[in-house]
Amino acid sequence: MSGLPIDLALAYDSMPALLRGLMTTILITVVSLVCGLMLAFPLCFARMSERPWLARAAETFVVFFRGTPVLILLYLVYYGFGQIKMLREGPLWLLFGSAFGCAIVAFSLNHAAYMVEVLRGSLLAVPAGLVEASEALGISRRKVFLWVRMPLAIRYGLKAYQNEVVSFTKGTAIVSVVTITDLTAVANGIFEQTYDPFTPILSAAALYWAFINAIRLVFRFWGAYLNRHNEDGVAETTSLPTSTLERMTGAGFTTMTTTADPATSASTGTGKEAA
Amino acid sequence: MSEIADAHTAISLTGVEKFYGTHRALAGVDLQVRRGEKIVICGPSGSGKSTLIRCINRLERHSAGSIVVNGIEVSESEDAIQDVRMEVGMVFQHFNLFPHLTALENCMLAPRLSRGMSKAQAEKLAMKYLERVQVAGHAHKYPVRLSGGQQQRVAIARALCMEPPILLFDEPTSALDPEMVKEVLQVMEELAHGGTTMICVTHEMGFARRVADRCVFMDQGQIVEIASADAFFDAPASDRLRGFLAQILH
Repeated sequence: MSGLPIDLALAYDSMPALLRGLMTTILITVVSLVCGLMLAFPLCFARMSERPWLARAAETFVVFFRGTPVLILLYLVYYGFGQIKMLREGPLWLLFGSAFGCAIVAFSLNHAAYMVEVLRGSLLAVPAGLVEASEALGISRRKVFLWVRMPLAIRYGLKAYQNEVVSFTKGTAIVSVVTITDLTAVANGIFEQTYDPFTPILSAAALYWAFINAIRLVFRFWGAYLNRHNEDGVAETTSLPTSTLERMTGAGFTTMTTTADPATSASTGTGKEAA
Repeated sequence: MSEIADAHTAISLTGVEKFYGTHRALAGVDLQVRRGEKIVICGPSGSGKSTLIRCINRLERHSAGSIVVNGIEVSESEDAIQDVRMEVGMVFQHFNLFPHLTALENCMLAPRLSRGMSKAQAEKLAMKYLERVQVAGHAHKYPVRLSGGQQQRVAIARALCMEPPILLFDEPTSALDPEMVKEVLQVMEELAHGGTTMICVTHEMGFARRVADRCVFMDQGQIVEIASADAFFDAPASDRLRGFLAQILH
C-alpha cells in the first residue's frame, strides 16, 4: 500500500457508480433549480404586490420555507404526505409516491423561498430613474419589466444567485435519507461495504468539487458577458447581501439578509466558491 | 376651456395641486403652453418645478386640478397616460440611460417597443437623431464610456426618436461638468429652432434669454411670475424673483 489514505484501485473501480450518483445529484439539482425559479417569479410578484393580503401571503411562504431546515421539509413531504388519504388516492400521488418527486417538491419550495428574496432585492436595486425614463418613453409596464428591469436585475443579483445555487447544490446531499442514491449515498454505500472511509468519501468530494467549479465557471462567463458594458468588466454595483449566512446557520433570520454587509456576504461567497 | 384655445394649446394646467403627505408641493398651478412655445421654469430648490413637469407626463400623480396635453386629459386611465407619454418626451438631470445598452440601442428601444418599428427602421431613425445631436460616432459605445455631455446628448436623441411634439427638460445641465454644459445647451437651442414645444427647468439664464418665449418663476409650489425673457430678467415685478435673480446672477 502507498502511504496515501486513498486506495487508488478502489477509487477507480467505484468511479462508474460514483458518476451515476453524480448524475442523480445533477438531475435533482437542475430540476429543483428550474422548478424553484419558476415558482419564485409569481411569488416574488406577489411579495412586491401593492395588495397587502397578497404580499403578506407570499411573505408567509418565504418566512416558513426559509425558516425550515430542508431536511425537515424532506421528511415532511416524503413521510407526511403519504399519510393523507386523499393525496394517496389522487393523481398527485404520481409525484408524491416517488422519493424523487418528493425531493423535487421539497427542494423546489426551499429554493423558491430563497429566490423570492434574491429576485426582490435585485428588482429593487434597479434605479428608479431608469424605470421612469422607460415609462416616459411610453414603454408599457410589461415591456419595461422584460427589457429594462429584468435585464438589470439579473446583473445585480447574479452573485447572490450564484451563492444560492452553489450552497443549494451541496445541500442536495441529504436526499439519501429518502432512499435516493445520489453521489453522497453511493459513497456512503461503498464505505459500508469496504470500511474504507477515505477513498469513497474523498472521491465523492472531488466530484462535488468539480461540479461546483463547473457551476462557478458558468457564472463567471455569464457575469462577464452580462457586464461587457462596463469598461473594466467589474460588476457595477456591489453584489447583494446573500442568503448564504442563513443557510449556514440553518435558519431564516430575516434580519440577517437585510443587515448583512455586502462585503461580508461577498467574502462568504468567495469562501464558498473555493470550497 | 374653449375649442379655440384647444387648437393652439399644447399643455393646459388648471389649478394643479400635488401633496406629498401633508406637504403641498404644488399649490394651484395654472399655465397654458401654446404649441411651439419654449418655456423656461426656474425657482429655488423645492419650489415644485420638477414636480410640475413630472406631473405633465404622469411620472407623478397630481392630487387635484386638471392637466390636458394635446387634448388628452392626464387621468387615472392607463390608456390616456400612455397616449400622453407618446406626445411628450423627457430629458432628465441624471440622463438615466440604460447602462446595459449601447447609445444606439438606448435610442432604438422605445421605437421598437412602443412604436413597433423593425430593427432596421429603428436603427435608421436612431442614427438620424444621434447625428443630429452629434454623437453618431459613439453610437456603439456603452453609456459608461461616454462623458456626461455625450450621455445627455444621447438621452436627448433617445427622447427625439419617439418624435414627440412636446419635450420636457428637467435640469438637463445640472449634473454636468461646466465644460460640458455648452454642448448640451447648443443641442437644445438647435431643437428650439424647430417646431417642438419645450418646457425646460433650468438655471441657465443665458439659454433662457436666447430661447425662451416666456420664463416662469416658481416658489413654494406656486407660479409667482410669468414674463417674456427680457422682462423677466431686466424688470422682475416681484420681490421674490428679484431676490432669486440676485442670488443666481451674483
